[in-house]
Amino acid sequence: MTRGPDDDHRELRALNALTTLARDTVQRPSTAQLARGLNLLFARATAYRSRTRVVRWSLAGLLAAVCTLLGVQLVVVLRGRVPEQRAVEYRVEGGSVLAGGYLRDSGEDGVRLLFNEGTKVNLMPGARGRLRSLDKEGTRVVVDQGTASFDVARSKDRRWLVEAGPFSVAVKGTLFTVSWDPSSERFELRLQHGSVVVSGPIASGDIELRAGQRLLVNLPKAETLIIEEPADGSTPGASHASPTLSAEPDPAAPALAAGRSTAQDTPLAIRSSAVTASSAGNKVERKSSWADDLAHGHWDRILEEVERRGVDTTLEAVTSEDLFALADAARYRRRTDLARAALLAQRRRFPGSSRSLDATFLLGRVEEARDKTRAIGWYDEYLRRAATGSYAAEALGRKMVLTNELKGRSVARPIAEEYLRRFPKGSYAEAARVACGEP
Amino acid sequence: MSKRLSQVSLSLVAGTNRRDVSDVELARGLSAGESWAIGVTWYRFAPMVLTMAERSLGSRSDAEDLAQDVFLSVFRRARTLREPEKLRSFVYSFAIFGLKSELRRRKLRAWLSFLTPEVLAELAHRSVDVESRDLLHRFYALLDRLSPRDRLVFSLKELESMTIEEVASVMDISVSTVKRSLAHAMARLSRWIMADPGLADVFDTRRWQR
Repeated sequence: MTRGPDDDHRELRALNALTTLARDTVQRPSTAQLARGLNLLFARATAYRSRTRVVRWSLAGLLAAVCTLLGVQLVVVLRGRVPEQRAVEYRVEGGSVLAGGYLRDSGEDGVRLLFNEGTKVNLMPGARGRLRSLDKEGTRVVVDQGTASFDVARSKDRRWLVEAGPFSVAVKGTLFTVSWDPSSERFELRLQHGSVVVSGPIASGDIELRAGQRLLVNLPKAETLIIEEPADGSTPGASHASPTLSAEPDPAAPALAAGRSTAQDTPLAIRSSAVTASSAGNKVERKSSWADDLAHGHWDRILEEVERRGVDTTLEAVTSEDLFALADAARYRRRTDLARAALLAQRRRFPGSSRSLDATFLLGRVEEARDKTRAIGWYDEYLRRAATGSYAAEALGRKMVLTNELKGRSVARPIAEEYLRRFPKGSYAEAARVACGEP
Repeated sequence: MSKRLSQVSLSLVAGTNRRDVSDVELARGLSAGESWAIGVTWYRFAPMVLTMAERSLGSRSDAEDLAQDVFLSVFRRARTLREPEKLRSFVYSFAIFGLKSELRRRKLRAWLSFLTPEVLAELAHRSVDVESRDLLHRFYALLDRLSPRDRLVFSLKELESMTIEEVASVMDISVSTVKRSLAHAMARLSRWIMADPGLADVFDTRRWQR
């Protein structure tokens, strides 16, 4: 069979499509990711001195070990027996695995996957999911709809990835339930033990959750709700056996994050998340800070300290980083007046900083609950000052949504068209298409 | 050895408006062991290194590890930077060197079968659906089959949108070598893609039409 120009063209188009996907998928790291990286960098730099000394002295030993390993490998290969990592196996209860990894239940109790490594996955009745991949590197499970619980055995060799709609949960060893409702685009994760990292379209960074936290994301409203619950799951509704995805956010929920996450909200930690080391020694001292408190979900600790110091004094005295942490903590605890005051102080005291721009956007988010017209004003100012800023897509999307609510689709349409032109794959693209009347 | 680190004070107290300093001032600060310069260098150049590494390696955690190594090297070698205005290129050269080493290490690990590399691609796939993630897994598995040099040339040219001349410059190889590597990588990738039914149909789907 001869190959023609059409074949070459076809090949190139496929390669270009994949290259574009790979290029566009990777996004700029979030502030929280950068802050974590910097802290780690300092810790590693401090440890470097002692480590290099050890490495130097044990170099000969290391070389000997490498030689031994190579020798063992050679012997194994020569004997024709290559040691394999223990294969992951599983059995299914209450259903079966169809082609493509689709899980089908055979009764009314849901489907359970029991892995030989000790991990248990329980797809609740009515839920749909897939076992997407299973190999020696790790396992991927997709929750297409409904609720599933995961009891993942800790393993340093394998990674677990749970995907629900546009959200991705990286797991090491933990117990949690995850729910996804594609019709209302609501995501929920309850974490009983361990820790997980959640990636999703709502935040430009990852969300790190610790035991006892519950994450609720409402994509249409761009709301992220983080609720503290007892780690033993004793709170009503936090049951491991029958979690549900509530239609509306829990009114008693104490934390409301508007479009951003705790992890993302962690401000730049140069000053406040300080790691110090004396030049003479290797001792590392980690100072507690509001940025750390925020990252670990200790929002009340920040607010208590503000109350103790006095709000006005605090707003005038603390650093830009701490002001940002305070604004976030206040927003999570629904102290919108305090959040607003902190953000305004940020703009007033540090007008030329990048955080001042971020504060402008967040003022819009805070203001949405009280005065949507004023919120649009803040978004307009952000877009004027930072047309290509980190929150440009979010600001334009929120402006479109609010305009649609206040003035109707005809007025929102030009904004939607601009959104689609600038952010065709953005979080508000679907809403923009609806506003434009596209199918 | 100890002298280098001991002179890099590790207190992370940043001065006001230090983030606006020029690359030249920053390079001088690093060279002098100024503590503020470490954080500023990280925030200025880490996004570039992290995104490039993540696109090239297909793994966010590997990219983060690599960025750590790159910046440790940058801080340790800052005194060797003769032209402070070339700080960006200085950081870039360490990043490229790190990427080359990592890709070679992966090849070596793949050769030593008992140390199979973890290739469960974990890009920062926000707003990417399950099917797209599958495509990326398969795509990065194909990239793993390329030689380290071909892969890096392909990544820099196609994923980082560099020109041939820029790729040649940062990799310190000739333009003709870049062209040869790129042609080789693209020919092999195209062939492998068409041999994979799951990937070959990609462009036939309407959503990939651009």
